[in-house]
Amino acid sequence: MSLDIVVCIKQVPDPEYFSRITIDPVKQTIRRDGIPTIINPLDKHALEEGLKIKEKFSGKVTAVTMGPPSAREVLEEALALGIDDAVLLCDRAFAGADTLATAYPLASGIKKLGNFDLILCGNETVDGATGQVGPQLAELLGIPHVTFVNEIEWTNERDLIVKSTLERGYMKLQVTLPVLLSVVKEINEPRLPTVLGIMEATEKEIKFFNAKDIDVREGTIGLAGSPTRVADVFEHKSKRKGEIIEGLPEDAVKRAVKRLRELKAI
Amino acid sequence: MDFSFTRQQEMLRNMVREFAEKDLASIALSLDERGEFPYDIIKKMAQLGLVGIVSPKEYGGTEMGHVARMIAIEEVSRIYPPLGFFFQAGHLGMYMFQMFGTDEQKKKYLIPLCKAEKVACTAVTEQSGGSDPSAMQTTAKLVGDEYIINGRKVFITLGGVADICCFVAKTDDKFNAFFVEKGTPGYVIGRKENHTGMRCIPVNELIFTDCKIPKSNLVGQEGRGLVAALTVIASIGRTGAAGIALGAGRGSYEAAVKFAKERELYGKPIINLQGLQFMLADMNVEIEAAKWLCYYAEWLLDQGKSTREISSEISRAKLFSCEVAIRTNIKAIQILGGYGTTAEYHVARRLKDSIELLSAGGTQEIMRVTIGRNIMA
Repeated sequence: MSLDIVVCIKQVPDPEYFSRITIDPVKQTIRRDGIPTIINPLDKHALEEGLKIKEKFSGKVTAVTMGPPSAREVLEEALALGIDDAVLLCDRAFAGADTLATAYPLASGIKKLGNFDLILCGNETVDGATGQVGPQLAELLGIPHVTFVNEIEWTNERDLIVKSTLERGYMKLQVTLPVLLSVVKEINEPRLPTVLGIMEATEKEIKFFNAKDIDVREGTIGLAGSPTRVADVFEHKSKRKGEIIEGLPEDAVKRAVKRLRELKAI
Repeated sequence: MDFSFTRQQEMLRNMVREFAEKDLASIALSLDERGEFPYDIIKKMAQLGLVGIVSPKEYGGTEMGHVARMIAIEEVSRIYPPLGFFFQAGHLGMYMFQMFGTDEQKKKYLIPLCKAEKVACTAVTEQSGGSDPSAMQTTAKLVGDEYIINGRKVFITLGGVADICCFVAKTDDKFNAFFVEKGTPGYVIGRKENHTGMRCIPVNELIFTDCKIPKSNLVGQEGRGLVAALTVIASIGRTGAAGIALGAGRGSYEAAVKFAKERELYGKPIINLQGLQFMLADMNVEIEAAKWLCYYAEWLLDQGKSTREISSEISRAKLFSCEVAIRTNIKAIQILGGYGTTAEYHVARRLKDSIELLSAGGTQEIMRVTIGRNIMA
């Protein structure tokens, strides 16, 4: 028994440089020039889980991403971690896609690859943070999905119990392959690539698929295929209000609690 | 001309940086306070393929080259210079086998050294002074199939933990290089020096008293031992010290920039004060200059140049980087004010570590002598 595992990853701006990101007021877009990019942090956890599952059951891990030609960098990094195959969905026609118009080509690309047993995604990205692409992709592929997954327990090679984080607890769900799981950071500790992994990664082939290669219908991809539009992009300025409550600790704490209650903060 | 790093080298830098920030930053302080050799961390670095980064794949290495080694040393030292010191000193012993050892010696020793299952050191310096190695007193007398070693080596980095020690001794009037394994009768690890910096890397005295080693423990050609050791010290030791200094300087420069942007005086961050901008600009220029001297020397080694051909390039890198590390760290301490010498900010610690580099792999004056001789030639 071996599993075909697909991990969806995304190239995102490095959050450490978010303060350098500016907004183009005319084009209503985010200026990302000169901002280093990385694999979306949660996608690293998805890759790690994929590799761990492959080590447990044997099989193949394929990373898929959609993006400009430079997105090959995140696939190289995934290859350095030890995945088997890498696919880049790259076409100008994909540009301007919202989450649904991202999920369509991903679904088509994954179908084109053939069999799959398990699809892993990061629960959300640090740039868009919608958390929608995973569930949309599962719907388009006609398979079940679970989001906020922080633990996977394998009953056997087809059945698994996944733990999904809730706001104040968790739920356990029993699922059968094929399934799509969106993972959160608590699921594992991602490995680092090794020197040999890095050296081999840049020599491995990355498959490029354009819109034609994956047979996507016009009107389902890119800006034209996006049912949602960004209405406005603006810099959010948040201001903190501070109040200093003076006095002896016991008295000051009482008054602080009272004030927080008044403000409905507690 | 192309000054860019390859994609592989960029990925390596990202990997080592992530490792250093995740696994080293949080323990640097306690490692320094305990002063114990960090076997676990070294093993992890070996698993990542960093320890064997300059060794051939057939002997357990990852063969990524000298520029890659510099990247690893710079990034590790940016967070915790003593681990860069491990690369500097540990690679000395490894490179002795790699460059001058027999196939059998490489198989037997280089493979476990790349995996960090064993640790190596190289011992040349004696009481007579490291800058004048030809004055060494340690003798190796050939009796039958064995050499009998007598003498004393001092200031041997990793001496206290090394499983294998490569050393140079005199047989009549010839210098030979040998290795001895820990536990060999007559080979004793002596006093551990109480150095100011590089606290978790032991520096010891090594004592040979009628220590018998088989003839097969000779490394390289008979009579070429000192040349072999000096070649390794130049290509590995000096570049290693240069890389540690580069990382130690960069780490504190970044800490100073961060502090200056956050610390407010007169109602605004102190980075707005032109006096501090001048200091930071000087630090920035010197670190960039040191960086290119370091990478240029390593690039030349990767091009197959001999240490003899590029002795000036290597010496410049070591000389300048070590001075820059000290100047940068002192400026960083000044920018941080009262916080500069506290343990939490790690700047003073990097200064202490940088001081140790002044004599590592050859003193600053020996670097000037080497450059001076080439100018005169």
